[in-house]
Amino acid sequence: MFRYTLGRLLSGVITVWFIATATFLAMHAVPGDPLMNEKATTAEIRENLARKYGLDRPLPEQYVIYLSNMIQGDFGISFTQQNRRVNDIIKDHFPVSAALGILAITFAALGGILWGAITALYRNQLPDIIIMFLVILGISVPSFVFAALGQLLLVNLNQWFGTSILPVAGWGTFSHMLMPSLVLGLGTMALLTRLMRSSMLEVVNEDFIKTAKAKGLSPQRIFFKHQLRNAILPVVTVLGPQIAAITTGGFVVELVFAIPGLGRYFVQAVQQLDYTVIMGTTVFYGAFLVLMVILVDIIYGFIDPRVRLK
Amino acid sequence: MSNPPLLEVEGLTVEFETYGGVVKAVRGVDFTVEAGEVMAIVGESGCGKSVTVQSLMGIIPMPPGRITAGSARLNGAELLGLEPRAANAFRGKEIGMIFQDPMTSLNPTMTIGDQIAETLKVHRGIPGQQAFESAIKLLEMTHIPEARKRATQYPFEFSGGMLQRAMIAQSLACSPSLLIADEPTTALDVTIQAQLLDLTNTLQAQDAMAVILITHDLAVVARTAQKVCVMYAGQIIEHGSVDDIFYQSAHPYTLGLKSAMPSNIGDREKSLDPIPGSPPDLFSPPLGCGYAPRCPHAMRVCHEENPPFFKDSNNTGHATRCWLQAPNAPSVPELYQSNKIASDGA
Repeated sequence: MFRYTLGRLLSGVITVWFIATATFLAMHAVPGDPLMNEKATTAEIRENLARKYGLDRPLPEQYVIYLSNMIQGDFGISFTQQNRRVNDIIKDHFPVSAALGILAITFAALGGILWGAITALYRNQLPDIIIMFLVILGISVPSFVFAALGQLLLVNLNQWFGTSILPVAGWGTFSHMLMPSLVLGLGTMALLTRLMRSSMLEVVNEDFIKTAKAKGLSPQRIFFKHQLRNAILPVVTVLGPQIAAITTGGFVVELVFAIPGLGRYFVQAVQQLDYTVIMGTTVFYGAFLVLMVILVDIIYGFIDPRVRLK
Repeated sequence: MSNPPLLEVEGLTVEFETYGGVVKAVRGVDFTVEAGEVMAIVGESGCGKSVTVQSLMGIIPMPPGRITAGSARLNGAELLGLEPRAANAFRGKEIGMIFQDPMTSLNPTMTIGDQIAETLKVHRGIPGQQAFESAIKLLEMTHIPEARKRATQYPFEFSGGMLQRAMIAQSLACSPSLLIADEPTTALDVTIQAQLLDLTNTLQAQDAMAVILITHDLAVVARTAQKVCVMYAGQIIEHGSVDDIFYQSAHPYTLGLKSAMPSNIGDREKSLDPIPGSPPDLFSPPLGCGYAPRCPHAMRVCHEENPPFFKDSNNTGHATRCWLQAPNAPSVPELYQSNKIASDGA
């Protein structure tokens, strides 16, 4: 298990290095540069700025500086937000996105496993048909529609009760997090429900379920001890990438609910070609994704002995 | 007939509702198993062997499956149509079962020891650690080396033969009075087969346990069984003692099976005689004998009416569903002669 973890971590580091290099090259391949947005610049000022940020050096040299700074954990200073370090941007706003994302993935995973198990138990019966219809909605309706609908629901609820049950937007307390994380997790929940359903139906037909019946075990025991654990494996597999997708892809929901998450800065930076912010956030997100996948792999090993022991 | 039989099956009929129509998989099967006896059910794939025993255990999927008629009594208690809770009182406790493919018949995410101990926990209420110790003893009984270490391992760490031993250990955990072995050696190689058959024989003799052995391997039957039922197209077409079936074979299908079997005695150059044709479509079972279309001795009556059982004159319990065994039937030499004339004329 230790060697397995170590091996996964090592390949993770290589992946992150690859992401960093690819981002660096892709960004410099895009026409234009961050200084083009500066108003009323003379050639002299542009040259001074370029020198300040090191943009006048040859590309390989820039790459080496960038990489060595990154290894020391320094992503540099933003081009557009005067004197703001990229590290500070991440430090201030990532915890917000992460908290939202973790709650969203919790909703998605618990909901997906629960609904998936229910649909499999009631296959082709009314609960299955209703849930699977909702699942199609959940997969096909984009999150900003759900976000707006969620807000509308909250407004009406608050009016109905004449008091503020849940805040409609903003950030600060746990109650601020509930609706946006639910909205954010909805698509993933739908996806996991489908996955769990098909996986449960597959496991039901496995020989070892027949064995369990022939052993005279109760249906509850067969369900929890034999079926669920084996059916959950494919769900856990997609959980890693889904965690990253939710945490990084939440900027639309963050925007609608006025949540000061990292997503907004990420998108802004790309629009303004803010080199350091793009590179910093991309590499950070990349490392986060890799870490989540490794974490899920390790969890997977605990659930499936075949992974742990081989 | 001093003691009632251990298991008594009467008129068992099982159907499956499918998109193509209703498959009549088992069409009125009767048999009895005495305590301590090994009975083999033989027949080719799809003849209803597995469905027969799985419906006794209540483990055929329902729907699409349904038991439309018949009864099965274990020591006088009805097995068919029970609620899951009532069925679990005998499943795994009174009747143990082993399956064809040991590689897929054990839960991949649970240790072997835990899976064996589970049966003891559920049926005997034995607490965890103690049940696990018993599981280790059961593994030792089935000759698994280093049983203590093996019990903590998972199915993927076992070989096929070892897994089947573990399956046997699991099915014997509660000392059942009947063991159903559904093609237990089909997925294994011949050496392991022989070892496992010897093992089952020893254990069966020790505990005077009855065994229903399902197989399509006549060599396995000859080696282990005392009584044999030959199944074809959802019906038993011949039953009797193992000697009757092998040396007094009366049904043309049984004879066909025998001549399709390889032998290492005598002429090795002799080619095997497969039975031509294929079993009837059980969506619409034939009016007459299911074997008639493939039978070299078929008469007109065979196509028109399903034969009843005709008892052997020796009165040994050997009986055959074949019109040729009817008291007024022509003898085979006569038939052979008339067939020859007919084919010569054509």
